[in-house]
Amino acid sequence: MRTIDDFTMPVEYLSPIDKFLRDASRDWANKESIPFRRGYDEDWEEHHTIEPAFKKLMGEMGFQRFFFPEEFGGLGFGHSNYAGVGGYRVCEEVSRADSAIGVAFAVLHWPLLLICKEPHVNKRLCAEFAPMFCDTTEPVFAANAMTEPQGGSDIENLDLLSGSTIQTTATLEGDEWVINGHKLWPTNSGGVSKLFGVVCTTKLGSNDPNDFAFIFVPTDLPGVTQGKPYQKAGMAADKNSDIWFENVRVPVWYRAHGPGDDFKYFKEMVAWGNLLSVAFCSGAMLNAYELLRDFCSEKTYRGRPLKENDDIAGVLADIARDIEATRIIGYQGARMLDRPDLYGDNWSDEIVTKMRSFKYFACDRAIDILDRAMNIMGPYGSDRVQDIEKHWRDVKIIQLWLGGKQLGQMEVARWFYDCETL
Amino acid sequence: MKYQELFPLPDEWIQESDRSMAETVSSWAEQEVIARRLEHKEDYDALLLPAMRKLMVDIGLQAMIMPEAAGGGGMDAPEAAMAAAAVIEEVGAADTSIGFLFANTLAIEYALAVAPKRSEESLKQAAPLLCGGDVTICSLVLPAYGTDMADRPRYYGLDYPATAKKGKDGWVINGGPARPQCCGATADLFAVVCDTGKGKPGLLLVKGDAKGLKRGEELKKTGLAASRNADVTLDKVKVPADALVLEGIEPLRAMLSWYYMACAAACTGALKTTHGILKEWGDTRVIKGKGQVFKENPLVASLMGEIGSKTGTCRVLTYNLARLLSRPDAYGSAGSGTMHVTAVSALKQVGHLSMEAMHNTMELMASAGYATEWNLERYWRDVKTVQTYVLPETVAQTCMARQYFNLEQL
Repeated sequence: MRTIDDFTMPVEYLSPIDKFLRDASRDWANKESIPFRRGYDEDWEEHHTIEPAFKKLMGEMGFQRFFFPEEFGGLGFGHSNYAGVGGYRVCEEVSRADSAIGVAFAVLHWPLLLICKEPHVNKRLCAEFAPMFCDTTEPVFAANAMTEPQGGSDIENLDLLSGSTIQTTATLEGDEWVINGHKLWPTNSGGVSKLFGVVCTTKLGSNDPNDFAFIFVPTDLPGVTQGKPYQKAGMAADKNSDIWFENVRVPVWYRAHGPGDDFKYFKEMVAWGNLLSVAFCSGAMLNAYELLRDFCSEKTYRGRPLKENDDIAGVLADIARDIEATRIIGYQGARMLDRPDLYGDNWSDEIVTKMRSFKYFACDRAIDILDRAMNIMGPYGSDRVQDIEKHWRDVKIIQLWLGGKQLGQMEVARWFYDCETL
Repeated sequence: MKYQELFPLPDEWIQESDRSMAETVSSWAEQEVIARRLEHKEDYDALLLPAMRKLMVDIGLQAMIMPEAAGGGGMDAPEAAMAAAAVIEEVGAADTSIGFLFANTLAIEYALAVAPKRSEESLKQAAPLLCGGDVTICSLVLPAYGTDMADRPRYYGLDYPATAKKGKDGWVINGGPARPQCCGATADLFAVVCDTGKGKPGLLLVKGDAKGLKRGEELKKTGLAASRNADVTLDKVKVPADALVLEGIEPLRAMLSWYYMACAAACTGALKTTHGILKEWGDTRVIKGKGQVFKENPLVASLMGEIGSKTGTCRVLTYNLARLLSRPDAYGSAGSGTMHVTAVSALKQVGHLSMEAMHNTMELMASAGYATEWNLERYWRDVKTVQTYVLPETVAQTCMARQYFNLEQL
């Protein structure tokens, strides 16, 4: 019988420890999440049933140490040339069980990427924050505080706005940054995170990249307030809320890199966010394939298994084709991030744009195949027991974040067609 | 401009009394659902059941197409299709799941009261339930996918959910577990499409408290909160002879044509509310840091144009189908092959276009569209659930191909 491993991937790109990553994360998915995921939606606020899965994956298996250098107790992926494909593999396997856990897991690494990954490791900040993540078997989350109430995706719209709409301010007072502002929707907010990476401006209204600041803020500092998690259509394992910063003081060296570089490496972060969004989609798609294969073998129509009806087989073929394409694109994107020597810097306009195009392609395909899978299954398609409807609800927000499809379209058009006024 | 004027419907076909009913239901929607849903979200006991009671019993929708003599609203004629479309659109705009429940009720009442050869005995038997003083939750149990490959009679390739054998004292029904269209956990009255052993389907009524009727565990599903569904098993369930409401392919197709129209209307209602939510978002949101009003961005506008076009198309398709069903004298029987396929086609088009419009709306509203607070996502989930429950996609395609291209073997 065919399995998800029969879908094509460029094997020569894989990390030297791919088998370990695959087996460990798949074993985690099969034992720690899939048997319990049908109860996640009702647990969106408390996370009683979701928490053990996080604890196993992040704390006990140690995957929250992924990016940190080995000298600080990390797994050292930030120094490798396979962080992309390795991260993609884990996120894909995790998202096969639950893309919200995939997101929460990936986002914990997201702000850390700025300080843990070559060629821009900030050793002082690594030393400062590594113990929080590496000296424990409890799950520890981090978050990127980007989106603001007034602007939606404006902050991710780097080419056009260059941070000029950011309303969260960082003011230098002596040897401290004083941060004030209001953020919405970060993954791993709602009281979950211990550390925020906060997108700020040092000069309101400026579109000078030097005024763009990325500053780390431990969440237990005075002046940091998190709201209650939002209730959503899905993605129960990913908590989101409002966050307020009111005269929050952090040491001056909590800024990731400094003028110009924060902006540059934030673009890299956007590229990675887009690439891993492909992994969340392909993980959900692979599981949809497994579920659909079983369903269409068991249920009958015209007196034979669904899959043995030509018309249904045609749709199943389309679904398999789309999974093939999405997965290949995902691993290609991961490879491009791993080999800047061949493809260009992670923060280059070309790489950021191509990751965006991969992301919105993957999202469109994931939503389409899950829509079609549910339609094939009829009333069973919207039944929680079949699990596909959960993926359908979950993956929709992947399409919506990081500026959504429309910003993706604009950035891709700008780069490929030399648009000058969009 | 108001929604009614933006997305015109064939006014000339709609009676003043239909319009008045729709306005009454619109007021109900505002007071009983929309004003309370931020507080109660999709709570069945706090919001949905009281709202259904008000709508079905106090306003009288439940008995709308039952004959006056039986205690109903007296609209027991095909012309009621227009009124049904108009009111279900309003119900669906308030809560698509209640609209879907009413579609089930309407289909069963069509078979009882409006169908050309209605059974007066069946009508008399069911009327007290449907025209009484409380909500009677109705549920269709339709042919569906099976689990074995035995050579047996099928309905368009789908397995009958049950068999019914006629005895001296009535019928004995066996079948399941079958998935009802709605409310398997709560229904007071099921209408089960059975293989009656005569090579043709029969629709039999089974009361919710019938001996031998077993309900499975309540299902968690994507949407349609008012429908608390569960699989049902029928184990030697005995029903009287007059429980047979209709028999034969054409009468069953006629009922389904009405059902599809009602489901399409519920989805169209969801689009009405979706339009209102997106309108407010587009009018007030500012982007690109330059004070550009969201809707004035050309890319946003192009997508809004698509959404508007799809919304209008759904409305026209739904009301046109209602018109065709309301005039069998002009367009033929609701159960004819042509009419049935027109209904299937309209239902599937409305399902697709509604989902596309809602996907696109959510894309424009981004995470706000995904959060329960903005109310869009519940309609998105509800319409998707209607789309999956009512006639699987490939079955509908074959059904249409059979008619349009004269297939002989499928």
